[in-house]
Amino acid sequence: MSDVVIRAENLGKKYRISHQHERQRHVTLRDLLADKLSSPKRWVESQIANGGAPHASKPARNTASKREDFWALKDVSFDVKQGEVLGVIGRNGAGKSTLLKILSRITEPTEGRARIRGRVASLLEVGTGFHPELTGRENIYLNGSILGMSRAEIRKKFDEIVAFAEIDQFLDTPVKRYSSGMYGRLAFSVAAHLEPEILIVDEVLAVGDVAFQRKCMDYMKKLARSGITILMVSHNLFAVKAMCRRVLLLSGGRRQYDGLPAEGIDIYERDSRLEADPWAVGVIGEDIDRWPIVISFMEYLDAEGRPRTVYDYGERMRVRIHYEVRRPIKYPNFYFAIRRSDNVACCSFSAARDGVTTPLLEESGVIELQTPPLRLVSDQYGSWAIVWDREFKNLYCGQIGPNFHVRDEILNSDFGVFHEPAEWNWRAKGAGNQVMLESSVSYGKE
Amino acid sequence: MIEAGRSEKNYWRDLWRYRELFYFLAWRDILVRYKQTVIGIGWALVRPFLTMLVFTFIFGRVAKLPAPGSIPYPLLVFAALLPWQFFSTAMAEASNSLIGNANLISKVYFPRLIVPAGSVITSFVDFLITLGLMAGMMIWYGFLPDWRLLTLPLFVALAFGSSFGAGLWLCALNVRYRDLRHIVPFIVQFGLYVSPVGFSSNIVPEGLRLIYGCNPMVGVIDGFRWALLRGQSPLSVPVLIASMIVTSVLCLSGVWYFRRTEKTFADII
Repeated sequence: MSDVVIRAENLGKKYRISHQHERQRHVTLRDLLADKLSSPKRWVESQIANGGAPHASKPARNTASKREDFWALKDVSFDVKQGEVLGVIGRNGAGKSTLLKILSRITEPTEGRARIRGRVASLLEVGTGFHPELTGRENIYLNGSILGMSRAEIRKKFDEIVAFAEIDQFLDTPVKRYSSGMYGRLAFSVAAHLEPEILIVDEVLAVGDVAFQRKCMDYMKKLARSGITILMVSHNLFAVKAMCRRVLLLSGGRRQYDGLPAEGIDIYERDSRLEADPWAVGVIGEDIDRWPIVISFMEYLDAEGRPRTVYDYGERMRVRIHYEVRRPIKYPNFYFAIRRSDNVACCSFSAARDGVTTPLLEESGVIELQTPPLRLVSDQYGSWAIVWDREFKNLYCGQIGPNFHVRDEILNSDFGVFHEPAEWNWRAKGAGNQVMLESSVSYGKE
Repeated sequence: MIEAGRSEKNYWRDLWRYRELFYFLAWRDILVRYKQTVIGIGWALVRPFLTMLVFTFIFGRVAKLPAPGSIPYPLLVFAALLPWQFFSTAMAEASNSLIGNANLISKVYFPRLIVPAGSVITSFVDFLITLGLMAGMMIWYGFLPDWRLLTLPLFVALAFGSSFGAGLWLCALNVRYRDLRHIVPFIVQFGLYVSPVGFSSNIVPEGLRLIYGCNPMVGVIDGFRWALLRGQSPLSVPVLIASMIVTSVLCLSGVWYFRRTEKTFADII
């Protein structure tokens, strides 16, 4: 077939876990000693920092392997025709980024091969190669050449790039003084003007303000219409739905679905729900045998008690924690913490702090918490379920819980970790003295 | 058409296609190096000049080492400092170059060879500036070079090759073994004393000369002195050949090792 521009055949990428192991030891040799001596809380954090939420679904992560092979990608084959817009979706660690890295030749596959016809531009990160000390003008040239443009091309496109990024006043300011929005706009703008035949993008639409995001989307659509083949990875399922005519769903490094976006996204969402079942995605720390209590199961529900893994912004979330007591413990403190996919600690809930504890817990059971309306922005979140003592000194058990999504069409991590409604007061100027016209327009779902 | 499984045969073509990136990376490094500095590019002059003063004082005055012919000691030292500074900064910068550009390596494709090569080129620009200072000093001393000056490019190429070869080895190793970060400054410091920078290689015993020549910088430095200082500083051909062989071995094996490990850079950096 002549119009196939990307043909991937049995792509596979193997990593050795031992690398991570070594690095971890190297980095924390001293920390380890310090941590063992000080509070377990810090120790827990260091454990999680090395293998926590963002990789929460990578298989074989917690097998404590000395030298184990880990297939980030295995037997992935597909064809992409010219002009197709293919969305690659999947949970974190499903192999999406590895796939893009192989296709953009950053890393080599361990097995299989890919044939690519045409000039590839890949944008795995916004502003790769930007140097903070250099000015906007200098960075356009630098970044352009890193992405594979020739000097003549950049010169030709220069004005367009600047106009698209809306930074003409700041062209000769070092980019270290740019706001992150300006930075992102400039970076996207350079990449967008590459005129590739195949564009590979990884989660780069989440740049700048909403207006600029829309502009980027429109630009991508325009590119797609002009016959460019686009491969995009996104957690923003709305963007995927809007842009792509086909999705590739990866799961555990393998192809799970390849076809219509609506169906692929459906499977993906259903799977995220199923994922809740084998609940022990991971444990925090070792010595699970010595834990006096273990969490055997965890459920995410909505306010009506139906299982959920995707919540809308502003919804309340119910978390049901099933636990088994092995040895009686005094004053247990059930603790549920939410981490964003990039491992930002967002918030936590502690039973003991809310006054819910008991002098002695002897029997297995279920504890349930209902959160206040979730003001978290749209993203994927991981969770920890931990049982402390009342003073957060002793860790009875700590496990990494299932992931969930919060969705909102607009609010993303550019808006912060949370987006809270505020009380607004509105005054009109004029009419002599300042009079309050309408006060306290408050909103909220409850 | 790209085959991700074996990119070997396209490599050298890619290198050519990305040739402008050499220029841009070197340009970036030079720009960045002198941003927010007061005397800017002047630092390329101050450093070798001060080193020359110190060496002239220690080796020429205090230790009273002999200078061959009628060469003023400062010129003897400076003619050696030129290639030495080039070699040492190029090697040190190249060895850190991959790690310094880790974000590029893990996010964009281009022939990785460009990175260490770019940092050697950056140091070469400094070298050219220092060469201007050398010219000024020769005029000051009224010690002008003769036809031998025309052979200088050969020795520049030799210095280029040896620093590139050493840099390739070091930067490729540095990706996996960060120990190199501690070893490189030591090599540079140690090398300054085992290379004939502060003194003439005449004072090395005759029998050891050839072994001494296995330090590629010996041939380079002797060559620089010979070419710049009217041949009054002797150049031994066997030593030069030994240096040339060592340099080519260093360079070729450097490229070989770099190419062999290059595929894994993005995964382990």
